[in-house]
Amino acid sequence: MGHRDIPVLETGRLILRGPEPEDYPNFKATFTSYRARFMGGPLNPYETWMLYAAEIGHWEIRGFGMWMIHDRVTDETLGMAGGWQPAVWPEREIAWIIWPEKAGKGYALEATNAARQFFYDEQGWDGAVSYIDPKNLDSIRLAERLGAKIDKAAKSIDGHDVVYRHPTAAELKDSQIADGIALEIGHYQDPLFKPKGWAID
Amino acid sequence: MIPTLTTERLTLRGPDARDIPFLRDFYASDRSKFVGGPKTAEDAWRQLATEIGHWTLCGYGRWIVEADGVQVGLIGLWNPEGWPEPEIGWDLFDGAEGKGYATEAARAARDYAYGTLGWSTAISLVAPGNDGSARVAERLGAVKETEFDHAKFGPLTIYRHPAPEAL
Repeated sequence: MGHRDIPVLETGRLILRGPEPEDYPNFKATFTSYRARFMGGPLNPYETWMLYAAEIGHWEIRGFGMWMIHDRVTDETLGMAGGWQPAVWPEREIAWIIWPEKAGKGYALEATNAARQFFYDEQGWDGAVSYIDPKNLDSIRLAERLGAKIDKAAKSIDGHDVVYRHPTAAELKDSQIADGIALEIGHYQDPLFKPKGWAID
Repeated sequence: MIPTLTTERLTLRGPDARDIPFLRDFYASDRSKFVGGPKTAEDAWRQLATEIGHWTLCGYGRWIVEADGVQVGLIGLWNPEGWPEPEIGWDLFDGAEGKGYATEAARAARDYAYGTLGWSTAISLVAPGNDGSARVAERLGAVKETEFDHAKFGPLTIYRHPAPEAL
């Protein structure tokens, strides 16, 4: 109650829905942990609850926000992805976080790609940035896989973050990068090579 | 949907984007020192988002209070994680004090909590030195009960409101 209807996005493996009260324990587990060190954390339980409520209110104020990423088969939550722009944020950001135990399966790529396409197609965004801590190598790698490039001329939030600029809607349409993203997601969804056991190196 | 309440002089409605400048000014001012401020413009914006999300997470929250169509405060029901129990809280914006608005709006919020939500009791938390807020609690018939130590806010006095059957 209290917030506008948040759209539901579906991808091959995922369903993205607005943050719901019952998802809070999963959010709390990550945001009170070291995993949240690049997102202003770790937070104490009070701060975490306030932030979770703000994730919901963000949708009401801006008309966009962060989705909770669910596994479409089990419905368990995997992380969050979407748009983020509190006051004083220079531009609309595309952001993501994956619960630590769910990392490495391409979920952030699949979810973020769907979110970006939604903003471009349904909300008329012509571009977006991601503000990333330069020590957050996993996120830098994801930004690059999404086709984003460092924009040294763009204003950062507070000088401690690097601005990655996403390809515009026009640049992305029928592009090699869009094909590459689809191919990579496809490999996660249905790996061509399924190793038995563990690599020995 | 957040319900709208009306009193003799006031309208209590859900917070939304129109209220950004009012929270920004309130949290930039010394008036917010008893309730977690002062805050930056960004944190005041996040606070507004939190106020809205509180309704989703708890099914109740705080209302923006309007007098003659102008925002005068943020008053209602508050229970984030770590709170001792559900609270009736009031913040008045600059220039709105001294008119009885906090008491009038808090009474409507309490009626809603008891009548619609079925609360059997309610508290209000008052920071040391916030005499104006303590007077509102007393005007509402709440009495000092005990101290509560919050991780962020430090020591707070718990005022207990009269039970529904006592009103």
